[in-house]
Amino acid sequence: MKQRSQASAQPRAVSLPLDKETLLHFLNKMILIRRVEEKVAEIYTRAKAGGFVHLNIGEEAAIVGAASSLADRDYLFTSYRDHGWALVKGVAPRAVMAELYGKATGCSKGRGGSMHLFDSKVRFMGGYAIVGGMIPIATGTALAVTYRGTDEVAMCVFGEGATNIGSFHEGLNVAKLWQLPVVFVCTNNLYGMGTAVRRASSVSEIYRKACAYDMVAERIDGMDVVATRDACLRAVERARKDHEPSLVELVTYRFRGHSMADPARYRTDDEVRWWRERDPISSLEQKMKDSGMLTQQEIDDIEAAVSRVVTESVQYAESSPAPGLDDLYKDVYVQSEGQ
Amino acid sequence: MDSAEETAVVESHQNSRHAELGLSDETVVEMYYRLVQARTVDEKMWTLHRQGKIHFIISCRGQEGIQIGSAFALRRGEDFVMPYYRDTGVALVLGMTPRDLMLSVFAREADPASGGRQMPGHFGYPRLRIITGSSPVATQLPQAAGVALASKIKGEAAVTAVYFGDGATSKGDWHEGLNFAGIHKLPVVFICENNGYAISVPQNKQMAIRDIADRAAGYGFPGIIVDGNDVLASYTVTKQAVQRALKGDGPTFIEAKTFRVAPHSSDDDDRRYRSREEVEEWKRRDPIERFKRYLEEVNLLDDSLDQRIREMVLEEVNEAVDFAEKSPLPSREDLMKYVYYNS
Ligand SMILES: Cc1ncc(C[n+]2csc(CCOP(=O)(O)OP(=O)(O)O)c2C)c(N)n1
Ligand SMILES: Cc1ncc(C[n+]2csc(CCOP(=O)(O)OP(=O)(O)O)c2C)c(N)n1
Repeated sequence: MKQRSQASAQPRAVSLPLDKETLLHFLNKMILIRRVEEKVAEIYTRAKAGGFVHLNIGEEAAIVGAASSLADRDYLFTSYRDHGWALVKGVAPRAVMAELYGKATGCSKGRGGSMHLFDSKVRFMGGYAIVGGMIPIATGTALAVTYRGTDEVAMCVFGEGATNIGSFHEGLNVAKLWQLPVVFVCTNNLYGMGTAVRRASSVSEIYRKACAYDMVAERIDGMDVVATRDACLRAVERARKDHEPSLVELVTYRFRGHSMADPARYRTDDEVRWWRERDPISSLEQKMKDSGMLTQQEIDDIEAAVSRVVTESVQYAESSPAPGLDDLYKDVYVQSEGQ
Repeated sequence: MDSAEETAVVESHQNSRHAELGLSDETVVEMYYRLVQARTVDEKMWTLHRQGKIHFIISCRGQEGIQIGSAFALRRGEDFVMPYYRDTGVALVLGMTPRDLMLSVFAREADPASGGRQMPGHFGYPRLRIITGSSPVATQLPQAAGVALASKIKGEAAVTAVYFGDGATSKGDWHEGLNFAGIHKLPVVFICENNGYAISVPQNKQMAIRDIADRAAGYGFPGIIVDGNDVLASYTVTKQAVQRALKGDGPTFIEAKTFRVAPHSSDDDDRRYRSREEVEEWKRRDPIERFKRYLEEVNLLDDSLDQRIREMVLEEVNEAVDFAEKSPLPSREDLMKYVYYNS
């Protein structure tokens, strides 16, 4: 079986085989996600953003490691827990923030909100609110790539809960059968809303499900940005060069509730503390400091720069106009020219 | 025959495969009877179809081995059974009669499955715990998990056996049904009759794996491969799966390798997608012929008994056709009956 498990139940310490520049870039993106998410929590609490909001706090290493393994021309599909993924794929922070505010300048023109960020220019193909709903769509995109004979890869991200849905099975079966250039990334944060993985999935190690499709699969410590990036790079290359799909399971944890409406009473304080001690950002910082690659001054500089970006994006969102009433029916259906 | 030879025969009989499995001589002869019965019902239906008397049939031909073998391992009227459209053999073993099946293809009021409403092959009989299926492929799988969950909640010692083809294993509902049964360790036996085709789609265009049994590992329970044209092997693996379920150890997935030698349905021309050689090759592995040879070897069947069985079955099936043809169609007044369940 072409399967292996690299992660034990316990996340390992962050590995550091990369150069300083790359690591700083990762750190930068991870801090950006964290601070944007904290701000989103704040504006949501102040009722400035509507709908539902699902935060990526705790999952930054998984996101940065996976999304940074893609080329600009590659496609990325995610679940509703999408803010961080959009940022790393290249959607501007201000366009994300404006979307949360429901403003016309948002990346989905204020129609999508938190769960439906979208920007085809950077090939961020969307957050999807239906659990598992993005899997056949991403698979279909990979089919289109094959059909056109180009070399893009589609990456499809979903939680472990989504692997119990029929569309997961149908998507992975067809992806392998037709040898499509797609990378399935499962962020296994151990809970689907309030349901622990073992209560909803007959096997708790998600990568084992790949045996049903004879697909390459790996289980990786998703709190380790470098290990995540390595595994995803391998998978992306396999997809691009060999048209061989993969399933990459990233074991991670969301530090907050499922959505802003969830107090997360189904987890013990000890468990949450255990995972917070493995915070992917402070782990990376510590590791870099220990090996003399990072100073406190550099961290402060990153934080300051990120803070400016966050403040600017909120100001942009607040001062942007709401979608006009006249545009209500715009962008519902594709219209050909002249209509 | 000299006496030494006679002793040898008697001995081999006592050590026969079926005796080792705890099956009596009568039972294996009854198994043979059911094999012939299923085949004869099927052949008769094709004739009726060609005569324009009935409109559609789905054939069990070639798959009787797994159907009869597995159904004998189920406890009639105690276990819940969800056959799929090809399971004429399963329905007969569990107690549906040739009359019941003919009433269904003639769409008669007295059809016990649906009062003449359902398509042929939608076997159902509440008293026998045969649960009727819906037409979309694989819908019976989440339903089977639900039936087994009900048994578990009620503390009832019943197993749910659910049947389906290889094509069904590509469906999302299939995945959800197996996952749910795996999580809750439900008493389900999943029986896949892998006949190599989903209508015109061969297995290698349906999935990237060769053994569907490999899929079971993704749900945390055993996946067993069996030669579906071997009646006794099919019986054995099903029996073990039933026992496992009754012990509370959860589901088992059985993949029976077999072949349908007839077209997919009476509306299908299989010459368009598979070679005659392939079909002929499988006809040589016919499960009924194979079981017949076995019974001959253990001295339980000879030409005259075989002849008698075939005559008996034919008479029974012909009688069933007459009965069904003469029985009334559903009346117009009853059109809305059986749409919803009335207690
Ligand atoms: C088809 C469907 N069923 C149920 C829901 C409600 N729902 C929203 S998120 C969620 C949990 C999904 O968990 P998982 O896939 O593990 O992702 P996570 O939220 O943990 O990132 C559920 C059940 C939904 N959106 N869609
Ligand atoms: C959801 C759905 N899709 C398509 C069909 C049409 N259909 C009827 S039987 C069949 C083939 C199923 O093949 P398999 O599960 O291998 O069983 P077999 O007929 O080979 O015994 C198809 C595609 C259907 N009934 N339901």
